[in-house]
Amino acid sequence: MLVSYLRIAWRNLRKQKVFAAVNIIGMSTALCAALLLSLTAYREWTYDNFHENGAHIYEVLGKENTGINIKTGSSMAQPLAEAIQKEVPGVKHFSFMAADNLPVRYGANHYYLGTQMVNADFLKMFTFPLLKGNKNNALQELNQVVLTQKAATTLFGNSEAVGKTIELNLGGKWRPLIVSAVAVDIPDNSDINFEMLVRLENEPEYAVTKNEWNASNFPLFIQLDPGVTAASFEKNIIPLLHKYYNGKIEDLRKNAGATAKNSEVFWLEALPLRDFHLDENSHFYSGLNKFYPWLMIILSVLIVGIACINFINLSIARSFGRSGEIGLRKSLGAQDRQLLFQFWMEAFLLCCFALVLSLLLMISLLPYYNQVFGHSIALHVFRNINVVAGVVLGFFVITLLAGGYPAWKVARLNILEVLKGKLGLGKSSGVRNGLIILQFVAAVVLISCTAVIWQQLKFIQAAPLGYNTSQVISIPLDNAPPSVIAAMRNRLAEFQEVKSVTGSMLNLGLGKDGSSGNWTRGFSYKDRHITTQCLVVDYNYATTLDLKILAGRDFSKDYGTDSTGVVINEKMAKQLGVADPVGMEFKMGDDQPVHVIGVVKDYHYESLRKKIDPLVMVINEPSALYYVFVKVETPNPVAAMERIEKVWKNLNPLAENDASFLDENTQRLYQQEQRFSKIFVSGAVLAVIISAMGLFAIAVLVMAQRRKEIGIRKVLGASISGIVLLLSKDFLRLVLVAVVIAAPAAWYFMYRWLQNFEYHVAIHWWVFVIAGLLAVVIAFLTVSMQSVKAALANPVNSLKRD
Amino acid sequence: MIQLQKISRHYPVGFGKNYILKDIDLTINEGEFVSIMGPSGSGKSTLLHIMGLLEEPSEGQYLFEGERVDKMNEKKRTQLHRGSIGFVFQAYHLIDELTVYENIETPLLYKNIPASERKSRVADVLDRFNMVAKKDLFPNQLSGGQQQLVGIARAIVAEPRVILADEPTGNLHSDQAKVIMQLFKHLNEQDKITIIQVTHSDVNATYGNRVIQIRDGQIQP
Repeated sequence: MLVSYLRIAWRNLRKQKVFAAVNIIGMSTALCAALLLSLTAYREWTYDNFHENGAHIYEVLGKENTGINIKTGSSMAQPLAEAIQKEVPGVKHFSFMAADNLPVRYGANHYYLGTQMVNADFLKMFTFPLLKGNKNNALQELNQVVLTQKAATTLFGNSEAVGKTIELNLGGKWRPLIVSAVAVDIPDNSDINFEMLVRLENEPEYAVTKNEWNASNFPLFIQLDPGVTAASFEKNIIPLLHKYYNGKIEDLRKNAGATAKNSEVFWLEALPLRDFHLDENSHFYSGLNKFYPWLMIILSVLIVGIACINFINLSIARSFGRSGEIGLRKSLGAQDRQLLFQFWMEAFLLCCFALVLSLLLMISLLPYYNQVFGHSIALHVFRNINVVAGVVLGFFVITLLAGGYPAWKVARLNILEVLKGKLGLGKSSGVRNGLIILQFVAAVVLISCTAVIWQQLKFIQAAPLGYNTSQVISIPLDNAPPSVIAAMRNRLAEFQEVKSVTGSMLNLGLGKDGSSGNWTRGFSYKDRHITTQCLVVDYNYATTLDLKILAGRDFSKDYGTDSTGVVINEKMAKQLGVADPVGMEFKMGDDQPVHVIGVVKDYHYESLRKKIDPLVMVINEPSALYYVFVKVETPNPVAAMERIEKVWKNLNPLAENDASFLDENTQRLYQQEQRFSKIFVSGAVLAVIISAMGLFAIAVLVMAQRRKEIGIRKVLGASISGIVLLLSKDFLRLVLVAVVIAAPAAWYFMYRWLQNFEYHVAIHWWVFVIAGLLAVVIAFLTVSMQSVKAALANPVNSLKRD
Repeated sequence: MIQLQKISRHYPVGFGKNYILKDIDLTINEGEFVSIMGPSGSGKSTLLHIMGLLEEPSEGQYLFEGERVDKMNEKKRTQLHRGSIGFVFQAYHLIDELTVYENIETPLLYKNIPASERKSRVADVLDRFNMVAKKDLFPNQLSGGQQQLVGIARAIVAEPRVILADEPTGNLHSDQAKVIMQLFKHLNEQDKITIIQVTHSDVNATYGNRVIQIRDGQIQP
């Protein structure tokens, strides 16, 4: 029986090539896209899932009610960690984490190794299996270091690593460390990345702020005992905060006023490990919007849905042509469920073809996909039983959707009517029209979303940021010692085109080193709690970046007192609430009092997703400079950059990251959006093509059905254009309905998406008009290919045949 | 074998009913060869469909081999279709995508007959109809008469008790029709298969041993 079904299915496929092609091509491209997208989503969702204690590991986040909003901080004070472990029940382990790229030397060779500076419990909390050594004592001593296998091979080749001594440069001093263990290389779905683990106590800053309750430097991670929930931890920690942060809490309470009468103004939250990758407050947050993986799933469902609709429409249409067979089988004693099975199996067969094709397509597209969209999906995900099970399950659901409905419909046909040949493909049918509308709703939504996303990206790229992006080169210093930086400054002075040089703790935009950060400080001023971002800069910062100075002056070597001076932005001036802030003094925490020497116009030192925060620029820590900014004025900036880079590489041969112009950096900030828009464009194009393919095939069928009618109309004197219009009208009406439904839906999605940006474009009505027109034109072209052909046909042929 | 008692078939028109068949009483015994004749629209096809369980009567009782079948559920009805009733259609209704051999085999597949027996039974039928050489051809490679032969072969391969034929020669010319009718006669006499055919042709009716005239939904005495 099965063989007979297969045989008939196969022969049918070969006979009806257009439908088989539309179904198989549409289905396989859709499945391929869906596979790629859902694998991407799956990868984002399964980050860090290999930690055995994962369910009990949390990042500690600080929350403050500032009266205006709730601020979240991910850095914690060092004494807090030990206090938590001692005074809060149920906390098993804790570890800070500080990531850096540190110079290492072994013998005569120098290397930079990606380093996590951690506490002793790190390896007990997180699952990073050791090839050699014991996780219980590998980080017991301050002079121990754990290397990954890759790093060990780089340093020692094939010889034994454990027990060897390497030297690590911290704060400009070389310090000997003994290799205590070798870890398996980090899996590619880990947010915690390192080639080397050392104890945090080695960090030069550590000793300074060891007992500082008000300096928050590093993110803190804890492991709770099994059975202790995040909620109970958050509750149990409140008394401890009141004990150690009484002053801060009082300040905050004054600020918050009535808004926080009966609630806490400063509290800690525990962010579970599973949220590390996608929660925007997490230390590891990569900028990938939490919603994007969902969006990929939605997109793949849309695309597969469109292909399924083609499948359903074509199968139903085609089965009417097979009504004789269906009726006959019934009269031979076929039960409805046998027919159901037969027709479902045909769909299944077709889908199997499509699946195999889509897998081949996916494998060949994968490198390209990874490159264009910046993802890193590897085929070894198919070794995971869950992925395979998911794909198989999804596939069955698709065949049920695509094949089940037509099969059910066919099996229920009235036997007599089909035998008499009374059933035909009607001029239109409700279900079919509904499905076509649905397809075009999806297509129009995708087209208009693409248009809005594109506009927003253009807007971001063109928006004035308040500083000079086109002439300023940023060079990551890669922990170069201050002497090298000084030498660089001297060499740069020799260049004609270099107008000025400065340095900063933070890059602007995202440099080629890919690192970003911020330093938030809170202090009280006139009994108010003030929160501000803080930035360590070098002399001539405002001048080099062409920041607009509203009052006062930039840091300058011509004045002696600049080490206690600060330059603030407008937002900060407003927060301080002083009319003419230049010259005023305030105290930031327990530090020396500072005085304001200048006010600059607000500039977008962070991305356009965020509002501009208050900013204080200080100059008192020369060792905290990580980037050099060089302003050049030359007709050939690329050549200038190459020359400057050459000088830098000469001075610091270990430099890993290349220099870049600031406009490149600011573009890089929106990489996620650019990838996102690329995915969206591809999805939209695919959706439109598959929809058009389906429409084309339906048009073929309908035209065949109406051959006779067209023949009669022509004999009666209808014009060709009249006939084309008559035939296309029904389809165009469907597409117009789809446009009307799609426009508000697309508007809503885009409105929500644009809320991610503090600065964004308005959504114009004409976007939807254009998207709608595009859909209508595509549909018209598709249908008219067939209707023109039908209208041009000689009526004699169509009439004679009957 | 077939007993129709007060069988009517009607459909609603406005406030009244339009009768296609009215109060049909008919008994057909095993081994008969019956021809149903009448003008177009007289209800003869509907009568055949009711006898073949393709259509349900609006009123009356239908006993097939002594069992009431007019309100049978789908499962039992398919059992009868598989085992006891064979159909021959005017338009042949062969499955275009299957070869002659496969077309004939299909009813046996629905009867769940094992492969080896299936083979021998199809081979027997092919042999008997002199169509062994054509077994791998598709229906559109055959003439109309040959297609109808395949249709009859398919109807008898499951060894039914009764064959219902709806104008089996309607699409054929007279020579071909003669062959088909002789075959029916042979099946009736040799294999003792009850045959009920609907026909317009007086010539065809002479092959049977009883003629039922039907007019305006009623059997003419």
